Amino acid sequence: MTTALIILIGTIVTYVIYRASKVVYKKWPLPFFHPLLLCPLILIAIIQLSSLQPSDYALSSSLWTHMLGPATVAFAIPIYKHAPLLRKNITIILTSIAAGTLVAIGSSLLLSLVLHFNGDLLISILPRSITTPIAIEVSKTIGGLPTLTTVFVIVTGVIGGIIGPYVIRLMALKSPVARGLALGMGAHGVGTNKAMEYGEQEGTFSTIGMIMAAGMTLVWAGLLIPSLLQITIL
Amino acid sequence: MVRKTITILSQLALIHVFYFAGVGLAHILSLPVPGSIVGLVLLLLSLFAGIVKLEWIEKAGGWLLAELLLFFVPSAVGILNYKEILNWQGLETLLLILVSTFIVMAATGFTAERLYRRKRKGEHHS
Repeated sequence: MTTALIILIGTIVTYVIYRASKVVYKKWPLPFFHPLLLCPLILIAIIQLSSLQPSDYALSSSLWTHMLGPATVAFAIPIYKHAPLLRKNITIILTSIAAGTLVAIGSSLLLSLVLHFNGDLLISILPRSITTPIAIEVSKTIGGLPTLTTVFVIVTGVIGGIIGPYVIRLMALKSPVARGLALGMGAHGVGTNKAMEYGEQEGTFSTIGMIMAAGMTLVWAGLLIPSLLQITIL
Repeated sequence: MVRKTITILSQLALIHVFYFAGVGLAHILSLPVPGSIVGLVLLLLSLFAGIVKLEWIEKAGGWLLAELLLFFVPSAVGILNYKEILNWQGLETLLLILVSTFIVMAATGFTAERLYRRKRKGEHHS
């Protein structure tokens, strides 16, 4: 088979199963049926039952992975549309995301130590709550394994997309700014996708939260994480 | 239907121009930021400067953001390459991510909600 044909088939199959997963989740909104859990599980089952290699599937679905880039660019649209709203809430945004990024790194580090994780695993898990491309950069900076970090980022997204609504209810988060920032900080793009279901304002705050979280984590990776690791690992 | 598809595809092409410009710029200047984020900044600046009109990209942009989960699917399937984490430590890792994500969301949301209420109160008094 030619590469073009492989990509055509992979693109269509992935899309059809994704659409079907969305329909299922809409009808039965159970955590287990979350599209980012159900759709990959079906695809994994297909790959395991056939003679396909995971690398064959990665190639065949590369068009969709590529779209993450342009999708990130498209986040400029909600930011542009709601610029005045963001300017008005800039203090809340900066303070909350500073708290969020520090809690993300701190809690990952502490829990890793409690569970006796060490070396590559511990370092690679620290940037897990930010968007994939920047998490990879941070992982490289602090000496982790970028591929392992990618796995943790995806797992964080899936878990965050599922528990986000429960956190919002449990913490009685009523304002769009609190809901959006919590989702964007805790579960990057997947959380932002959820936030857009709440409303356009929530989606915008989530987008900005996601971007700020990535930016601040880059800064912490340079200033804070190296000394933190030195204190805790040595 | 055909016209709608052509609109979305041409808008998608325009967004790609910004994406590739961002990737190129990040590469040339060896920025520590991914090209897609540079592309986001370039598009945002162009929108504010009036070089690009919102209508030129809004439809394709809306589609990209609405289908975001689809673009994560291949990476999620890629977990297959890490069969070795499907053990006890994998379960512990899952638990760590669950607890940590919960704490992060709660802390961020709590901070924002508190500050929002205080700010609204302040506005009422003044």
